Amino acid sequence: MSRPGTNEWRAGLAFVSPWIVGFGAFMAAPILMSLYYSFTDYPILEPPVWIGLDNYARMFTDPVFWTTMVNTSIYALFAIPVGTALALVVAWLLSQDVRGQVFFRSAVFLPSLVPLVASAMIWLWLFNGELGLINAVLDQIGGALDGAARLVGLAEPGLRGPNWLGSKAWAMPALIIMSFWSIGQAVVIYIAALQDVPATLYEAADLDGMGPVTRFVHVTMPMISPVILFNVIMAIIAAWQVFAVPYIMTTGGPDRATYFYTMYLYDNAFRYQQMGYASAMAWVQLLIILSLTGLTFVVSRRLVHYRAG
Amino acid sequence: MGRRGAIGLMAAGAVGYALLGPKGARQAPRGRVVIDYWEKWTGQEGLAMERLVDAFNASQDRIWVRYFSMAAVDQKAAIAIAAGDPPDLLGLWNFSIPSFSATNAIQPLDGLIEAHGAAIARRFAERYGDRGFPIVAERYAEPAWDLVNVGGRLWGVVNTCSSMALVYDRGAFRAAGLDPDAPPRTIEELDAASERLTTYDGAGKLVRAGFHHREPGWWNWIWGYWFGGHLIDRDTGDPTATDPRNVAGYEWVQGYPERYGASRLISFQSGFGNYNSAQQPLLAGKVAMALHGPFLANVVKTFAPAFDYGSAPFPVAASVYDPEAPIGLLESDMLCIPAGARHPEEALEFIAFTQRTESVEALAIRHAKPSPLARDSAEFERRHPHRWIGVHNKIVRSARAFPKPPTIVWPQYEDEFNAAIGAFWQLERPASEILSSIQARAEGFTEAARRRRGKRGGAGT
Repeated sequence: MSRPGTNEWRAGLAFVSPWIVGFGAFMAAPILMSLYYSFTDYPILEPPVWIGLDNYARMFTDPVFWTTMVNTSIYALFAIPVGTALALVVAWLLSQDVRGQVFFRSAVFLPSLVPLVASAMIWLWLFNGELGLINAVLDQIGGALDGAARLVGLAEPGLRGPNWLGSKAWAMPALIIMSFWSIGQAVVIYIAALQDVPATLYEAADLDGMGPVTRFVHVTMPMISPVILFNVIMAIIAAWQVFAVPYIMTTGGPDRATYFYTMYLYDNAFRYQQMGYASAMAWVQLLIILSLTGLTFVVSRRLVHYRAG
Repeated sequence: MGRRGAIGLMAAGAVGYALLGPKGARQAPRGRVVIDYWEKWTGQEGLAMERLVDAFNASQDRIWVRYFSMAAVDQKAAIAIAAGDPPDLLGLWNFSIPSFSATNAIQPLDGLIEAHGAAIARRFAERYGDRGFPIVAERYAEPAWDLVNVGGRLWGVVNTCSSMALVYDRGAFRAAGLDPDAPPRTIEELDAASERLTTYDGAGKLVRAGFHHREPGWWNWIWGYWFGGHLIDRDTGDPTATDPRNVAGYEWVQGYPERYGASRLISFQSGFGNYNSAQQPLLAGKVAMALHGPFLANVVKTFAPAFDYGSAPFPVAASVYDPEAPIGLLESDMLCIPAGARHPEEALEFIAFTQRTESVEALAIRHAKPSPLARDSAEFERRHPHRWIGVHNKIVRSARAFPKPPTIVWPQYEDEFNAAIGAFWQLERPASEILSSIQARAEGFTEAARRRRGKRGGAGT
């Protein structure tokens, strides 16, 4: 006779076993194997050969590795804070009681549902230097400014839209701008958080004579700070794994200006047949993301407020 | 609707889906040896190969080929071979040979042909009335045979090949007062024609580029070859990016942004439409001359059948011009047998079937490509959709046709040119300096690859 609870334990294991098997076979085992491969020369078509720390040492002298590190850092540095601020502002606007609120919320969330490839194709045309809508608008504005300058006798500023994706200087800003296209998911989470802020706190703030900005800084922000932390961490992970959009829109160009870490990792693994080096890069990427996440937690200790109870 | 009703409805849906829904690969008739064939082609080209597979399956009752068309076939094949579960047949490219052969991931065909060639030839004689085994060097144009015969071993067969040439808009030539039957032969003539064919609007914006190096932009590494250059030393495998002839080629490339303005050319290029569309720059009148493959004929046929185009060997520096031996890039799709294939003999029989003149020419015609064979049938050019296929055939048979550099590090080497083309184009540095940077990188990864191969006891790169 089995002890009470043993059957439940077995039943529980049986129910959860598809996940355990799936996780073990398709996540845990490949992760551990990639750790081993990172210490080997592994061209896929031949067995791995142990080379110790060579793959890790190689990163220090590989200029393309550092180019991708710098590119990915720049992308993360701008896409994360600006994207977070933008999502927060949009969420705040969409929390206001205005007509058509449901429509506006849907419109902001909808791009998150569009497949990445489709989004990339649309933005490829929007950023087109010759025929793109963005430059058409910028050229109109530039033309109007030139006209105004002529009227007042000043030199024409001559502002025109750049060749976004064809220019080393503008390709990265273009991809950062495009990343804001999919802030919808973060916005939905912020809206939920904003709605969760107790009305009594706002009433108290009103009684204390706080204006809307002070109220946002001293009441709203602290109350939704755990949600901001969550979204920032998700954004850090996403930024350090950016792949599909630049792969489709720029293939890393021009002159590797938009060549990101994950793209180089992929090229090493599957195009250059250097799975060992790619595995080492994947582990370094994991360490970077873990470090940044840890750092975010440390920095946020004083800034994030968790409600008691 | 009650719960039973809902469950019944779902069950009926599942049964209906199973009976009427999408089907997998066609079932092989009983008693046949089934061989799996992975191929890279999709769309029109994939269908053309599928027709050949169907013709083989229908022509005999011993073997059944299951055809699977897929993207990134080389990457998937590498993983399948490494995992010990490869297909029986693979459709790769000739430039896949260095990496796949160095690691013994594909089987040389020589031994298989020796063992089974005679038996296959007998069956072909009975079945199709053929004389002799089709995979023999004498039947092929030498440069095409050399694409798959590397290091003294035959690693596959060419099932289609492409030779790149200058494609030009004959209407634009006429409009510019140029003779459409006298395309440029040298770089100097190309530049002069380009100057005449380039047009601007009232605001000074380009309307049509006479020639544009970045249309279609698939061969950023090629420009030194038209000056007699090469990117690797064929004897040592060392990179030779800084060869003076390569420098001359890229100085010529930089001459265009110098003449027409880098930002103007780059901005103009961003308006080019997709290759496989009516907005393709040649078809849309945005470019009058470009380096292209013969397969462009199928795009013309689909999107602009009235487009009057011409084709000629790509112009070269006057010092290396020889009308009898045009210089041109030669690439091929190849059929090969992976290591560990379960039915190599049957795979070889199908490969041999694809190499019969009838099969080779049928596929070449449907793909709008030249034939890799030394001689065409009387009907080949007449039935071909490319009006100027003779030009491409001539390049295939030219002693100066060249392949992509056969080195294991080619993907990296090519990426260096793809990354640097912007720097050439934007005139960031002189061509010689940019090529020196590429050379330094290429020497680095060539040496690293040699060290890795050396540790495994393998040969060079």
